[in-house]
Amino acid sequence: MSDAVPLPELPASPARQPLSARLQPVFPWLILLVVFAFSVAINPAFLTWSTIRLQLVQAALIGIAAIGETLAILIGHIDLSIPWTVTLTAILSANAFAAHQAGWVPFAVVLGVGTCVGLLNAAGIYWLRVHSLIWTLSVNLILQGITLVYTNASAAAAGVPPIARTLALGQWFGLPVAGLVWAACGACAIFALRATPFGRRVYAVGNNELAALLSGVPTARIYVGVYVASGLGAALLGLMASGYASQAYLGMGDGYLLPPVAAVVIGGTRLSGGRGGYVGTISGSLSVILLQAMLVSLNVSEGLRQIVFGAILLALVFLFARQR
Amino acid sequence: MTRLNRLGARLTRGGALFSAAALLAVLVVYFIEQPLALSGFGIASLVNASLALVLVSMGQTCVLFAGGLDLSAGAIVSLVCCLASTMMGDSTGSILLTVLACLAAGTLAGAVNGLLIAYGRLEPLISTFCTLFIYGGLALTLRPQPGGHIADSFANALTGNLGVLPYGVLLLALMLLLVWLPVFRSRLGRFILAVGDSSDSAFASGLPVRPVRLATYALSGLFAAVAALFLAAETTSGDASIGNIYTLNSLAAAVLGGVALTGGRGSVAGAICGATVLSLILNLLSVLGVPAFWQDLIEGSLLLLVLSAAGIGRLRIDDWSRLLGRGRA
Repeated sequence: MSDAVPLPELPASPARQPLSARLQPVFPWLILLVVFAFSVAINPAFLTWSTIRLQLVQAALIGIAAIGETLAILIGHIDLSIPWTVTLTAILSANAFAAHQAGWVPFAVVLGVGTCVGLLNAAGIYWLRVHSLIWTLSVNLILQGITLVYTNASAAAAGVPPIARTLALGQWFGLPVAGLVWAACGACAIFALRATPFGRRVYAVGNNELAALLSGVPTARIYVGVYVASGLGAALLGLMASGYASQAYLGMGDGYLLPPVAAVVIGGTRLSGGRGGYVGTISGSLSVILLQAMLVSLNVSEGLRQIVFGAILLALVFLFARQR
Repeated sequence: MTRLNRLGARLTRGGALFSAAALLAVLVVYFIEQPLALSGFGIASLVNASLALVLVSMGQTCVLFAGGLDLSAGAIVSLVCCLASTMMGDSTGSILLTVLACLAAGTLAGAVNGLLIAYGRLEPLISTFCTLFIYGGLALTLRPQPGGHIADSFANALTGNLGVLPYGVLLLALMLLLVWLPVFRSRLGRFILAVGDSSDSAFASGLPVRPVRLATYALSGLFAAVAALFLAAETTSGDASIGNIYTLNSLAAAVLGGVALTGGRGSVAGAICGATVLSLILNLLSVLGVPAFWQDLIEGSLLLLVLSAAGIGRLRIDDWSRLLGRGRA
């Protein structure tokens, strides 16, 4: 009923906000600058176009998954079901394409898997009120089980569909197609968050779900929209990741559990919900990928990489996302 | 109250009773399938299969009681297990030293969580999610490949049995008598539940909310460390990924046993029953010859079922304001 009533605009008073709050949108880009400076100092090859293009493609993969993660975190929740959504989509699309050689088949798989995962997540989190972190982790486990049963726990036999390779590795006037896909999806996300009722309502739910509900926001639809968007993003990432690796294999999504969350947090979106946006996540995705590449070029062991990653995330949470 | 609502309420509030009944049912199926399980050896192997999860779930229950959440419990298990397999020699002195160091390391890791949450004012969910990666990374650095050395005498001391009574049961009784009861029969225990019920009221009544929170995470670390020592004895090696499953399963076990994720409610008996049921069901799957790759699917479905059962009670609650007020852990 109150859908048509415009939200009251708060008077802008930048002078009253503390300096740190006013500078907050700049922080993610500062972090990116620092990380980039560090990586160039360690290895000047990071300045060459071919390396930058490689990083851009990988950042695009993270960035596409981080769209849904940004939405989920904006409504005060989280989505940890990305890893096996990625693997399931990759394997399923490869097998489905091998059976029906039609261009639309991989996209049908992406749509189907993404929607189903999103609906399952939204059902548990919205209607059953299970904590999103536990619920999405359990959904991730179920998806792992489905994938293992479906493939008999052996790697997928079929080669990946050509469209997956085009999306991940193709070039268009010298620009990586993956980057263009990311740009298109990202532009949609920014537009949806800033200029549509859906975006306003996402922020409203994240700031105070009860207030949003009482003022007539259809919270159920927001949850479904957010998690279906997240599922679709993860499924699209699955298709592209299989193209990037030129194969679909079990466990290929395992590396996508933490990086999207890290990208969102580094991008300045509050984990408590309601504050932030996708623009910061873009720089967050780039920072995460650069950080990973830097640690790889330093020849750091897997264990140390996890420690550094956890510590950096913890430091950022400590700086930006403390309670009260 | 509708029937569905009552059912949900019974499943959650009477969780201890519910999971005890489920435990009995699972045990009956088990003994029909495997009559040998009634022997001393069989009982010891059943206890050994479930003790680690029981211990981690007890620690998780401590944290849940105070309204928190420990996602790093599994990583602490891995870390301590790797530490034990790296430090331990064959002499009694070395074993004792290793055990003490492991208990200290686990408690310290838990206390770091507690410090971050109680004094650093971080959300439990996200800070333990971060330390999960830090502790997991430390475990992987200590032991990049599974292996290491666990003294035979230590392994036998924890996994053997005295007649029909496995040493594992004695260990559990020891932890209950020396750690759980002293904590929860003292003021600290009541403070923990009070903080979990409403941390604002607890603070307003002058309770030391922060030290109490810190204590629950340290306790969780301690329980995880004991579980890790037991796992090390059971597998006689260290493995950086051995703890991975315990994070989610300990939460599920606690929920299955009727411990509320929102804090302040539940019982340790429920958590112990829940953990035993969960690990026995997983164990039963392999006894029944279910292929290994089906187990993730069944385990995941079981988790969703348990979590949904806990949520069904809320499905029909009319008072949304109460629901939303307490919905966020």
